[in-house]
Amino acid sequence: MSRPVTTPSERPDAHLSADELRLIVSRVLLAGVVLSAVLILAGFVASLFVGWDGSLLGAAPGGDPTDVGALAEGLRNLRPQAIAQLGLLTLVLTPMARVAASLGLFAVERDRMYVLISLVVLAILIAGLLVIR
Amino acid sequence: MTPGADVALFGISVLSGIIGALAGVGGGILVIPALTTIFGVDIHLAIGASIVSIIATSSGAAVAYVRDRLTNLRVGMFLEVATTTGAVGGALAAAVVAPQLLYVLLAAVLGVSIVQQVARLGEELPPEVMPSRAAAALGLASSYPDHQLRREVPYAARRVGLGFVMMLMAGFLSGLLGIGSGVLKVLAMDGVMRLPMKVSTATSNFMIGVTAAASAGIYLGRGDVDARLAAPVALGVLAGALLGSRILVRLRNRQVRLIFVPIMVVVALQMLARGLGLHVAFLG
Repeated sequence: MSRPVTTPSERPDAHLSADELRLIVSRVLLAGVVLSAVLILAGFVASLFVGWDGSLLGAAPGGDPTDVGALAEGLRNLRPQAIAQLGLLTLVLTPMARVAASLGLFAVERDRMYVLISLVVLAILIAGLLVIR
Repeated sequence: MTPGADVALFGISVLSGIIGALAGVGGGILVIPALTTIFGVDIHLAIGASIVSIIATSSGAAVAYVRDRLTNLRVGMFLEVATTTGAVGGALAAAVVAPQLLYVLLAAVLGVSIVQQVARLGEELPPEVMPSRAAAALGLASSYPDHQLRREVPYAARRVGLGFVMMLMAGFLSGLLGIGSGVLKVLAMDGVMRLPMKVSTATSNFMIGVTAAASAGIYLGRGDVDARLAAPVALGVLAGALLGSRILVRLRNRQVRLIFVPIMVVVALQMLARGLGLHVAFLG
């Protein structure tokens, strides 16, 4: 009754086993989580020294902790709020990276139905970002 | 924010991450009322921080759940078609639909489900059934290693169509009301499709990040995500979710349900309070 586990020997054209592919999806999530946590923590610690709107390069205080549009300026001046914002942005993009990684997983498993389903999900995510604005 | 407030917010976020990882919910039920009632934060900034907390709970816990085969990747991906479609539809409908009635409707759905959940309180695994035709065609049946039962537990999925419709509704409400709707997702998988409880919460956990990411862009663009608030929330929730994901594998399915049911009751009360326009402390 359970779906048979696909092993490389059953599918000579697949290079990776289902378990290895799962591990890749898990690692993509881990990489996103660790990278964002390091950036957010770095921003937080830096804020204790120069304040959220300060600058590690000594630029005049400025910027807005809610304004993602000013991210580039904030990063150029190493503002704590911009470093934390970059971490938050990384965090928000992690689920999308996970959908993309799953798409790759299903492609390697040659599971056409799920490649299609993953593509639909990615398309809706992207369309959502464009349409809702 | 004072350093003391940062520490308090971090602590609440850790707790939220643990509960969220175990119950398959985003933690908005804890983070939003805490921010608005204890810290006096504007509701828009609280919802912005809650979106961050949903994604942090999801990604943090899924690292372990995907690796340990608790998450059903196919069930998650298939149902994400419904939740993301619903979320975009809900965000578009936000301008024309009055949310009050929807809050009450959601509270009613949860109220009915509470009866069903209480009836299943002692159940460890759903009765073994043959997968429905749709479930077989979509390859939704699978198995997971249960460390408590010390065996590989096979499971099938039923009533896929009804589960899909419920996910559309969950997504729609997420997009419209800015809630994570993890409770509805768990109910769709456990209550309707009859997946084991741990698989249901782990897969719901996996899905809420994508549903939230579908609308996160709007919140970021609108300036609703304040780094000063979201930073301690994200760090706390990540730590809590990593911890919670270690706990879930050691729990029995019926213990997970014992954690889930009270959360569901609180969410039902929160939704009812919002629908009726009541402002009750900690119900948000």
